[in-house]
Amino acid sequence: MSRPSGTNLALGVWTTLVFVFLFAPIIVITIYSFNGGRLLTAWDGFSLHPFTAIVERPTVRHTVAVSLQTAVVAAILASALGTLAGMAMARFPGRWTGPFTLLLLLVSVTPEIVDGIALLPWFVTLGQDWSLVPFNNGYVRLIIGHSLFATAVVTYIVRARLVGLDASLEEASADLYARPVPTFFKVTLPLVGPAVLAGGLLAFTLSLDNTVISSFINVSGTTSWPVYVLSSVRSGLKPEIAAVSTILLVFTLLVLGLVARVLKRSGSSVTDTMAVA
Amino acid sequence: MRDEAHSRQAARRLPGFVLAVPAWLWLTVFFVVPFLQIAWFSLGEKPGMFGTHSNAVMSLDRYAEAFSPTFFTIFRATMWMSALGTVACLLVALPAAYFMALKVPAHRRGLMVALVMVPYWTSFLIRTIGWKVILSSEGALAGFLTDVGLIGDPHDLLNTRGAVLLGLIYNYLPLMILPLYVAFDRVDNALGEASKDLGAGRVRTFFQVTLPLARPGIIAGVVLVFIPMMGDYVTPAVLGGAKGTMVGSLIASQFLTAQNWALGSAMAVVLILLTMVVVVLAMALLWGVGWLVHRRSKLVIGTETVKTKKVAIA
Amino acid sequence: MNKPADENGDVRILASHAGARAIRRELSRRHFLSLAALVGAGAALSACGTGESGGAAAVEPGAGATGGPVEKTLSIYTWGDYDAPEVIEGFGKTGPKVSLDSYGSNEELISKLVAAKGTSGYDIVVPTGVYIPQLIENKIIVPFNKDLIPNIAKVDPQFLGQDWDPENKYSVCKDWGTTGFVYDTTVIKRDLVTWNDFIDAMQNEASGKTSLLEDPGDVAGLYFWANGIDWNTEDMADYDAYEAEAVKKWAPHIAGFDSYPGTGAMQQNTFALMQNWNGDARLGILEHKQPDRWKWVLAGPTTELWMDNWCIPAGAPHPEAAHAFIDYVLEPENSFREMDYIGYNTGALGIEEMAKERKVELPEMIFFTEEQLATMKNGAVNKAQDRRTEVYDKLKAAASA
Repeated sequence: MSRPSGTNLALGVWTTLVFVFLFAPIIVITIYSFNGGRLLTAWDGFSLHPFTAIVERPTVRHTVAVSLQTAVVAAILASALGTLAGMAMARFPGRWTGPFTLLLLLVSVTPEIVDGIALLPWFVTLGQDWSLVPFNNGYVRLIIGHSLFATAVVTYIVRARLVGLDASLEEASADLYARPVPTFFKVTLPLVGPAVLAGGLLAFTLSLDNTVISSFINVSGTTSWPVYVLSSVRSGLKPEIAAVSTILLVFTLLVLGLVARVLKRSGSSVTDTMAVA
Repeated sequence: MRDEAHSRQAARRLPGFVLAVPAWLWLTVFFVVPFLQIAWFSLGEKPGMFGTHSNAVMSLDRYAEAFSPTFFTIFRATMWMSALGTVACLLVALPAAYFMALKVPAHRRGLMVALVMVPYWTSFLIRTIGWKVILSSEGALAGFLTDVGLIGDPHDLLNTRGAVLLGLIYNYLPLMILPLYVAFDRVDNALGEASKDLGAGRVRTFFQVTLPLARPGIIAGVVLVFIPMMGDYVTPAVLGGAKGTMVGSLIASQFLTAQNWALGSAMAVVLILLTMVVVVLAMALLWGVGWLVHRRSKLVIGTETVKTKKVAIA
Repeated sequence: MNKPADENGDVRILASHAGARAIRRELSRRHFLSLAALVGAGAALSACGTGESGGAAAVEPGAGATGGPVEKTLSIYTWGDYDAPEVIEGFGKTGPKVSLDSYGSNEELISKLVAAKGTSGYDIVVPTGVYIPQLIENKIIVPFNKDLIPNIAKVDPQFLGQDWDPENKYSVCKDWGTTGFVYDTTVIKRDLVTWNDFIDAMQNEASGKTSLLEDPGDVAGLYFWANGIDWNTEDMADYDAYEAEAVKKWAPHIAGFDSYPGTGAMQQNTFALMQNWNGDARLGILEHKQPDRWKWVLAGPTTELWMDNWCIPAGAPHPEAAHAFIDYVLEPENSFREMDYIGYNTGALGIEEMAKERKVELPEMIFFTEEQLATMKNGAVNKAQDRRTEVYDKLKAAASA
């Protein structure tokens, strides 16, 4: 920690403003989730009705559950694939990195609607024509669909973390152990920790927010939350939609607060230990 | 030292390459194969009113149709909006990511990173509605800006190019902050201190030590933000109204409204190729600039002390 | 498009539904690389027979429902939040557990059903009328077993026999609506009555504060309705005239393309003039802080009548439950609840009287007179679809400049 200074203060203020910017629309939505009216954005007095209404809506709860489950698995999957690929790109570049980079670019440049249109018949071929039953499962389809761009994201971030970073640690380790596998687990993995954490979070977020691909590939029983929200505009968005967001937000903040407490007590953190490495 | 490392890496190339195989396989099976199908569709045609595509007659006619003046007008506008959005994201994210990675106590960093993502854990439509309320002509913001004289009419916030840009920045900011954070995080604070102790100013240290070290992260952030922006079309349309038409919406309207998958596929292929060209050109440019900066910093610090020379090389 | 099947590169085989699926599976396995067949399979199969004669062979009527015991579950694929929860719950009490899935556009629905080739797992879908010919043609929906839906008799005949399914063999009205516009009387101080007035106001008082529906058909409709041209015209000269006017004259004045301005942007007074559907406009006015500020116009001389319809997709796993549900929801009492929840007329006989008795607000925006109904016409997906989309894209490009 450097000494406090004008620059640091300015940076702190700027960061605070960025967070205000990030949270501004969510705060508005949180306020509107206590709207007693029929429409989300038409304020008609304070009420808790939107929250009680959710209790009577099994559909809403189910879609949120679908989204959360999918996002967790998709994030783990994308993190695993992306971390390995990113490390390979940074540490073992060769003739293969060029085409692989191109593939990653291709994945990120393809508009979601194209992914959705392309994946749907492919899943049907796999699941029905080739009788690979798992591909008829809506969760499997969503997880795969969400993992594509997310894998590219994690790969970029992990690669960016490692490339050019002093490889002497790994080399020293390789000299000592003389085998790459222990080196990988004991040295390289902790080194990429923050990148995996950041990439995994992004993958989780991207999955939770995915609308276009999901709407094309889901099957009976796996409508995800964003798809439900988007399809609800036909009959006018209700404050219940905002109430679900509020509950999710409060829950997330509670969990984060709890984590913060635990970390403070223990006096160190995951990132801390990772940063040391 | 570099040569030694290389020879050692060469010995380990096989296991190294293997690490990328799972991702490669995964993307091949679930991206490349379906994508080839889209490419295949683009060579066909729309068969009659109720079909979406057919490859009975193969031709490049759909490409001729895709290269329409409408497509190019909107592509150009999309490209400039995306470029502007990417630069804006970078400028907004750079100080924040730097602060989070190097100035915040270590045990709070992970939490701050998570906090960046929290607003996105709700559906994009809900966030966009939040913005619509904030930017509405009835809102406090519009009232304030009108009173201050920054805008002439409270209606000047929503459904403008500015709103499109705001939507783009907001949606893609985390994709910029996180790679930058990860890149800054690896910059050892001690290096900066050392550089300062050696007489390099704060600003000089930032530009000559920190920034070059974070360069891979900056490139990752720029790529991660610019490329998906090119294909996005929903948020800009919701906030920017008629001003928010992006090239992705043309593709979507072919797949959806016109149900002409052949033309939609051709447009998608054209968009992808054009975007790749733009990205490759931009990366070459960035790399060139970065190389110059990198080279300069190496020279400057290198002449001052042997100890920090290692920094520059790393 | 009754073109020969072999044009698709597929074999012409007439077989039972299940048999066809097995054969197709075998074929696709062999011709895995002819990926076009994957989605095209539906279209290829439909080309086997021409309409009804072939339909009997390839499609089980009523998806096999014969009035046997109702299954334990029912899966409905519909627009989000489109049914009254108490109606769904009420049906659940009769036995089947209802699960709802949502889509946001007809195209999502169609793509999914076509690709799934009868294995989507849904029992009921709710497409908009203009898409029904395509769904029938591609054998995506199956005819009802009408014996199991006696309550069709309780639907107002005015809303039966629409252009897309004249005998209601495949579909029955879920609800219907029309297109008009709403304007802000504090901005536009004169009376607007027709689509011509709309176009005029758009270029004057409401310039930069006008929204059009996000639908190429309705935007084209605006021009055709105003100029007394059939909005299903296939005469390309009409589209040239429309393009010239829209791209040159309208584009600079359009602030947004929004299909639901009433329940969204209108609440913040973002637009002063909005082309929109009656249900969305009604809710928008009802919920606005100053309802008197807004005026709804069912514009003339002609306009649209659109309808969402209950249909049963091919391969529905629970056909008995599907028929039972459709019959249940057409019961006037349930139909009323649906109407009250979503604000669109469900077309049940006597529903208007019920609405008056129970004091439903703004009934004139749900129920229309015979004369008004006479000005409304179904749209159609026809040869001009590509051209419609093209002009719409050009208009969007010009408006964003």
